[in-house]
Amino acid sequence: MRAHFTTSRLLVVIMFLSLMVASLWLAPHAMAADPSAEIGQAVGTVDADTWRQVKDGDNSIDSRHDSNYNLINQSGETWRQIRNRWISPGGLIALGGMLAVLAIFYLLVGRNDLDHPRSGKLMLRWTALERAMHWTLATLFLILAITGINLLWGKFVFRNIFGDVFWANMIMATKLAHNYLGPLFSIMLILVLAKWLSLNLPKKHDFEWFRQGGGMIKGKHPDAGFANGGEKAWYWILASVGLVVIVSGLVMDFPIFGQTRDVMQWTNAFHGIASLILIAVSFGHIYIGTAGTEGALEGMKTGYVDETWAKQHHNLWYDEVKQAEAADPQSDPATAPDDALARQQRPN
Amino acid sequence: MRLTPTPSATETSGLGINRRQFLKRSGVATGGLAAASFMAAPMMKRAEAKTEVSSAPVETKRTICSHCSVGCGVYAEVQEGVWTKQEPAFDHPFNRGAHCAKGASLREHGHSDRRLKYPMKLEGGKWKKLSWEQAIEEVGDKVLELTEEHGPDSIYWLGSAKFSNEQAYLMRKFAALFGTNNVDHQARICHSTTVAGVANTWGYGAMTNSFNDMHNCRSILFIGSNPSEAHPVAMQHILLAKERSNAEIIVVDPRFTRTAAKATKFVRLRPGTDVAYIWGLLWHIFENGWEDEVYIQQRVYGMDEVRAEVANFPPEEVERITGVGEADMLDVARRLSQNRPGCVVWCMGGTQHSTGNNNTRAYCILELALGNIGKSGGGANIFRGHDNVQGATDLGLMSHSLPGYYGLSEGAWKHWSKVWNVDYNWIQNRYDQTEYHDGKPMHTNGITVSRWVDGVLEDPDRISQRTALKAMFYWGHAVNSQTRGPEMKQAMAKLDMMVVVDPYPTIAAVMHDRTDGVYLLPASTQFETRGSVTNSSRSLQWRDQVIEPMFESKPDHEIMYLMAKKLGFADELFRNIKVEGSVPHVEDITREFNAGMWTVGYTAQSPERMKAHQQNWHTFDFETLKARGGPADGDFYGMPWPCWGTPEMGHPGTPILYDTSKSVAEGGLNFRARFGVEHDGTNILAEGSWSKGAEIEDGYPEFTDKLLKQLGWWNDLTAEEKQAAEGKNWKTDLSGGIQRVCIKHGCAPFGNAKARALVWTFPDPIPKHREPLYTARRDLVKDYPTWPDSESIYRLPTLYASIQNKDVSAKYPITLTSGRLVEYEGGGEETRSIPWLAELQQEMFVEINPALANDEGIKDGDMVWVEGAEGGRVKVMAMVTERVGPDVVFMPFHFGGVYEGESLESRYPEGTVPYVLGESANTATTYGYDPVTLMQETKVTLCRVSLA
Amino acid sequence: MAQMKFLCDAERCIECNGCVTACKNANETEWGIQRRRVVTLDDGKPSEVSISVACMHCDDAPCMAVCPTECFYKTDDGIVLHDKDICIGCGYCLYACPFGAPQFPQQGAFGERGKMDKCTFCAGGPAESPEEEYEKYGANRISEGKLPLCAEMCSTKALLAGDAETVSDIFRQRVVYRGHEDGAWSPVDKASHPDTSANLTTSSVTHQADSLAYDAARKG
Repeated sequence: MRAHFTTSRLLVVIMFLSLMVASLWLAPHAMAADPSAEIGQAVGTVDADTWRQVKDGDNSIDSRHDSNYNLINQSGETWRQIRNRWISPGGLIALGGMLAVLAIFYLLVGRNDLDHPRSGKLMLRWTALERAMHWTLATLFLILAITGINLLWGKFVFRNIFGDVFWANMIMATKLAHNYLGPLFSIMLILVLAKWLSLNLPKKHDFEWFRQGGGMIKGKHPDAGFANGGEKAWYWILASVGLVVIVSGLVMDFPIFGQTRDVMQWTNAFHGIASLILIAVSFGHIYIGTAGTEGALEGMKTGYVDETWAKQHHNLWYDEVKQAEAADPQSDPATAPDDALARQQRPN
Repeated sequence: MRLTPTPSATETSGLGINRRQFLKRSGVATGGLAAASFMAAPMMKRAEAKTEVSSAPVETKRTICSHCSVGCGVYAEVQEGVWTKQEPAFDHPFNRGAHCAKGASLREHGHSDRRLKYPMKLEGGKWKKLSWEQAIEEVGDKVLELTEEHGPDSIYWLGSAKFSNEQAYLMRKFAALFGTNNVDHQARICHSTTVAGVANTWGYGAMTNSFNDMHNCRSILFIGSNPSEAHPVAMQHILLAKERSNAEIIVVDPRFTRTAAKATKFVRLRPGTDVAYIWGLLWHIFENGWEDEVYIQQRVYGMDEVRAEVANFPPEEVERITGVGEADMLDVARRLSQNRPGCVVWCMGGTQHSTGNNNTRAYCILELALGNIGKSGGGANIFRGHDNVQGATDLGLMSHSLPGYYGLSEGAWKHWSKVWNVDYNWIQNRYDQTEYHDGKPMHTNGITVSRWVDGVLEDPDRISQRTALKAMFYWGHAVNSQTRGPEMKQAMAKLDMMVVVDPYPTIAAVMHDRTDGVYLLPASTQFETRGSVTNSSRSLQWRDQVIEPMFESKPDHEIMYLMAKKLGFADELFRNIKVEGSVPHVEDITREFNAGMWTVGYTAQSPERMKAHQQNWHTFDFETLKARGGPADGDFYGMPWPCWGTPEMGHPGTPILYDTSKSVAEGGLNFRARFGVEHDGTNILAEGSWSKGAEIEDGYPEFTDKLLKQLGWWNDLTAEEKQAAEGKNWKTDLSGGIQRVCIKHGCAPFGNAKARALVWTFPDPIPKHREPLYTARRDLVKDYPTWPDSESIYRLPTLYASIQNKDVSAKYPITLTSGRLVEYEGGGEETRSIPWLAELQQEMFVEINPALANDEGIKDGDMVWVEGAEGGRVKVMAMVTERVGPDVVFMPFHFGGVYEGESLESRYPEGTVPYVLGESANTATTYGYDPVTLMQETKVTLCRVSLA
Repeated sequence: MAQMKFLCDAERCIECNGCVTACKNANETEWGIQRRRVVTLDDGKPSEVSISVACMHCDDAPCMAVCPTECFYKTDDGIVLHDKDICIGCGYCLYACPFGAPQFPQQGAFGERGKMDKCTFCAGGPAESPEEEYEKYGANRISEGKLPLCAEMCSTKALLAGDAETVSDIFRQRVVYRGHEDGAWSPVDKASHPDTSANLTTSSVTHQADSLAYDAARKG
């Protein structure tokens, strides 16, 4: 058993290291394109004043009907550099780094197990609706993350491996999935954020939770309500960075409102950066929710958690629920419907 | 450097397929990745089917662009009857493969789906398909009925500058044998004032030099001309002059045009003040003694009278009239004087004025004073408009002359009836015999295209013919290129019948409110037939037939045959011309006009010689247009007229008119002795100037049999020639003997005279500045009034003073002018039906200066009403630009299909709506006609602009 | 090895749109797709200048660099082409392109743009048959030993196409005979040419330069 774990951990480390190496290789090695040089070659006999104007794009008339493109797209090269020089390798480092940190953490610290045996008594933590919302959102997130990553880096891997026809279909499917599921994800994210807003309002004890590092290392368990500091942080990252992702995504996905080329460039850059942050953080969320914490995944799977788990990770919530039960002894947690139970057991 | 051809994409299995299969083959791409990729394939959908790629054998046809008078050569590649490729004709001496947007789109003519596809008539407000037999029958019966009732002058045959020479000639002959002079074409509203003004100055009313010769110019004055948009390929030659000889490019225009952007000097002129401007230049030239004294003394008559008139235009007066200050005037005068030889170029900006003939003569006088005419690098380079407007003019498709500028005198009729082999008396009997105000219809100028509207609407008692016009044939004409749109609409309503013969329905099919009595007959384009075409610089070029007539269309000469047959004079019309089925043999028509066109030297350009030139483009020199070796060795390309004598004589053509440095046999000339030998007791023949090698080393009159006898040259004629020449002159001797002998002795058949600055037969013998009929400068009207009203010009009363005296400038303070866009031609129906062009100009617009726009609260892109001084108004998009000055607005005139804000789209026959519709600028233009030619005034009127 | 380039001589470009239309003629791109465009700066002012632009087939092409599908490739002639079967219509090439060359047949919701289309230097593109190639990419004139139709048909020979060195040489010669004082970067000063007859004596040189342009256009 132990040996098996070691092997898998080693694998993770190797994967991570290879990603790091790959990211170095992927860093743009080409010379920067020089549109000025290209157009200098392409257009003769234009004096310096005109050049200045070419770059400003003032007072020009285009033979293309309704075109609002300047003669020279000054920001195109900037966008290219931001995307290829910073976002692409940066994202690789971020994602790879996150995986590495998690792997190393797992190797060093291991799973956060329950301190006490399971009580066998269950508490309702997530209603069916909430679980459905979570998993829908999670599925969409994963698809978008994978397709997004494919749009960013896929060309370095799959075309060479599988050939043009496969790649053509794969990348087209990727783009269609990304563009059509993106708006769905946006809606889901908004709904989820709205639904769980009240659970995630920061409380004083959350700061203490953070000061103690969530108790991850020291093995102590700082106070936490229904959502602990870490979960709230994830919520607020989703509510901020996630919002950036969906807004920028929607701007790009619906280029029918006269978005300029510059707007598209900037939204693309923001979308890339924000998405990669989100994906990186999601690795942490996924780790904690699965391999990192004993009993966490079953809460989102079944909706119920063991009281021991609740006491250890969300002691304030546990206390609250117990007080409420004491105040209303008629209720029977085992038979009451989810929603009624939720009203009782969930302080929102 | 040469690319290595990679064969992969061009080599195919090579099995030919027949035309039908070829046309039917679907446009869907198959095979390859697209088929393998489940999502990629549907993404490839196309809006329009592409031309099929074919492996069938390629036939390469040589044709000439049909969009302007530069005459660019084209290689058309045809596979199984389909025009699959258009290749640049690098060896063509005019364009070296170059094209503007219009020329580059020619191939689309072979694919257009917006054409008029079969004969149609309007019945109860609905378009109904007809067979050709039915259409000819119905139209012909109506013509016969109207002729019976109202005489032949009740029918108007409005021809086209887009005809080939053969078709233009045939159309004029058609009208003559039908019995009316009510026949005309667009030259009337294009360069008629040029032809009249210039021909009356020095003999021929045509571009004196060639586009290629402009390489040698040291200065070029563009006044009322914008070749960058109207003749773009000419700019290749102009820019070569600028680069090679550092030529001054001076643009004088109310607008800062694309040509002005390439100029070394731009001068903004108030519209309609050309004469004052030219006199202002001459004031400085005379003041500084920059005129060419020797040249004037030898070759110009009347320059003293010019001096006297010019003295009235000192710098301050010129500035008052034209708005151009003394410094600019002096600067331009100096540039022109110090950079000789130079030429002047003018187009519609100079001609389309009620003072057009004065303008054109003033330009000529400027060049005469500078001694620029008759020299390489000099000249009056009048860029004509349509591809064959020069040819159609030469071949007499006009209401005031038979072919070759012979006029309508009895002598002219007898000359042509002899060529036609038709009895003169028979023709005479075809005409209305009554004598009206102007005279007998056979010998009086017919109504002009510019005024057919008045010919319909005017009180019949005041028209110099039996009745007003009852039926109109619009045979290749864009009515929206004519002024006074609202009145035109009224005229159309009043007609008994309208017949549109055209590849497209044209605005004539939709702008009237009629529900009946309109026929549309589909004509073929010039790519669906063959024939010759004369470019602006007088070169005749032969066109191959590229494709078969599309849909049910027929070439114009075939329709003329069908109509003549129905009207009962086909035998006379085609006496010398073989008719194959119902198609007259094109080359026979060429040969017939060759036999009669002695005046302008259209006699030696036989079909065989033209085809030899066409097949040997590469042998002609790009600088001189002279063939070096090859079958046409020594000829100038296209045998620019005058190409004297018979084809057998082998005259090379005349590349530069009045160039005395060459002998007549080599294409040299001197000014024509067209106006007698003396005026008011003064000799008007040349003095001390003659073309190289002339045996008469002084001026001499035009040649007649008598003159030959006097000179002792009569016996140089052969016996046959003597017989033909007896009692004839160089214009009427059908043997060409007189011309041959003159040239043998180094003399020009038309004599050797001075150019005349003083045209004593014109309303203003010396050109005068006269304010436009509609002018905002009321202060100038008193000093420079227009002419008094005229009782009859070309059969119609014509107004001048009574219009000018009404002051409308308070209500209409802005000057309105119009012009061209590079993508469209004329009324634009054809070019707006070509998607490649239509895409480039999708919106009718008006150019407004930012200052005026700010005053009126107009922003770029706003819709505005432009209301002309006679109340016609158009709703167009504002383009706020500094191209125009603050008191002038400009509209392009190519749009149509929208009338005063209302779309006429639903009135088109199904499937013929052009890709782009727009308001016609001429809905807002106004009255005004030149007193010599009845040229319409499109370049200066008044309007007001307000937000819509 | 040739490095194909376009060069637009702005002193000659008159915005006649011959190049734009020639491109349509050669490639039959649909309504709305103009692989080449002419941009006029300072319209209506004395400093007005017109420039014809299309894909410049950049040495280090930004479109290639940002394409998520790697549908672009460079031919041995230095021509940047793309494979429409691999293109997903994401629009990135347009964001990156300095010249606005890439175009899309649509601009729809969910980023539906169709397949990108751009100037191919009349070199077609990847396809298994000439029919398919023409349908997707238009003409392949290069394979026939011809140059792009836009340049071949340019009304004033302003637009040159061909090997970078050749077109630069032609342009340099034009600049020399135009008499600019500092290369091509100044308006011609008339005062420095008081006697233009001196220029006429160099006409053989100038003629040579011009016919070179003609030859370059003709022969490729």
